[in-house]
Amino acid sequence: MKDSADRVARFVDDLLHGRRPHRFEATKEEAEAMAAAAGLSAARVGADVPDKAALDRIHQHIAEALDESAAVDRRLSRRAWLRTAGAAAAAVVIGVGLDEVVRSGQQSGAAGSTATLLPDNGAWRPVAAVTQIPAGHAMLVSTASLDAVIVNDGGTITAVSGVCTHLGCKLQPDDANRKLNCPCHQTAFSWSGKVLYYRLKAVPANLPLIPSRVNNGQVELYIV
Amino acid sequence: MTELHVLSGPDPEQPGEPEPATYPDWESVYQDNVVGIYQLVFRKVGNAADAEDLAEETLMHTLKTLRLPAPVPVVRAYLVKTARTVLADHWRRHYAARDAANEIEQLPIEIVANPDAVDRAQRLLGLLPDQFRNILELRFLRGYSVREAANELGVTESNARVLQFRALRKAAQLEREVLR
Repeated sequence: MKDSADRVARFVDDLLHGRRPHRFEATKEEAEAMAAAAGLSAARVGADVPDKAALDRIHQHIAEALDESAAVDRRLSRRAWLRTAGAAAAAVVIGVGLDEVVRSGQQSGAAGSTATLLPDNGAWRPVAAVTQIPAGHAMLVSTASLDAVIVNDGGTITAVSGVCTHLGCKLQPDDANRKLNCPCHQTAFSWSGKVLYYRLKAVPANLPLIPSRVNNGQVELYIV
Repeated sequence: MTELHVLSGPDPEQPGEPEPATYPDWESVYQDNVVGIYQLVFRKVGNAADAEDLAEETLMHTLKTLRLPAPVPVVRAYLVKTARTVLADHWRRHYAARDAANEIEQLPIEIVANPDAVDRAQRLLGLLPDQFRNILELRFLRGYSVREAANELGVTESNARVLQFRALRKAAQLEREVLR
């Protein structure tokens, strides 16, 4: 009992003096007492508040480690592409050549032009029944090659990319306000893909349009 | 906070910045969770040096494993799961404490930015017999050394250490049986 009491007392002293405790092989009873001591140590007012230097060290170590791994797979990262080049990069994600297939539309949004994704190896592919999207609604669909939002605006079907051009987060349709919200930052797009508002340092690109049509009751998108 | 720029269309909701439903990148995971994870870990190790190492290990493993963007609840659940494993490993590796480690792996611990650790400790101390409560209050809440606590309680230093050990074991038992 005395040896255990002495070992635990040394452990408690280390905690109360802010030292890293010495390591030793503890009995079950000692470990039980030490765990209770750790809890009581944390209950001292302010004891468990990390100092800024500690947080800075953690941040720096993580940044260094992740930058190394990011360098390896940066070319494969869909989010990195989207972040780097906005709408134009979205075309790269679905495997199409920029020069030939991304054509700037005539419509010009407040934040710039709106591109249309036209993959040269694309095809009309059904993605939803038109009855799934009543007038005044938008619906997010996902295919193997992309996420898109299909919009039924008073019976007219259109489609835009379903990922935010800032960081690639999936957009959430907000039918009541006829807009598409990005859940990651306070950014929203209109049904036609134009940026409505954003809380970012730079204005993000408008959403690219995706060619769409209704065929035999199916909404089809021209995609790979 | 970055200013909200309104270009056109309906008014955005006017909130403070809402909690993001999705973490877009590692930086957002870090900013939102580093303090909570540190405190969670601190409550199980009781000292800043180990808490810093284990919080970093928890975040590092999570961020290297999870693909982002990812939903907030998914990331937090993974962080807690990882913290449990990291803590259990700490107790096994440094103190050969298999039972304590196993117990940590079963605990319903969670990330709480402002835990009620002080209230909880007060409740725990209140459940202890007087002699046990006195030694733990003197040591942990008033910062007495073993010698000072022994003088205050009128016992030898050696007896004060034994009393502290028995009081901590009783506290552990009460925590298991009553407070959890």
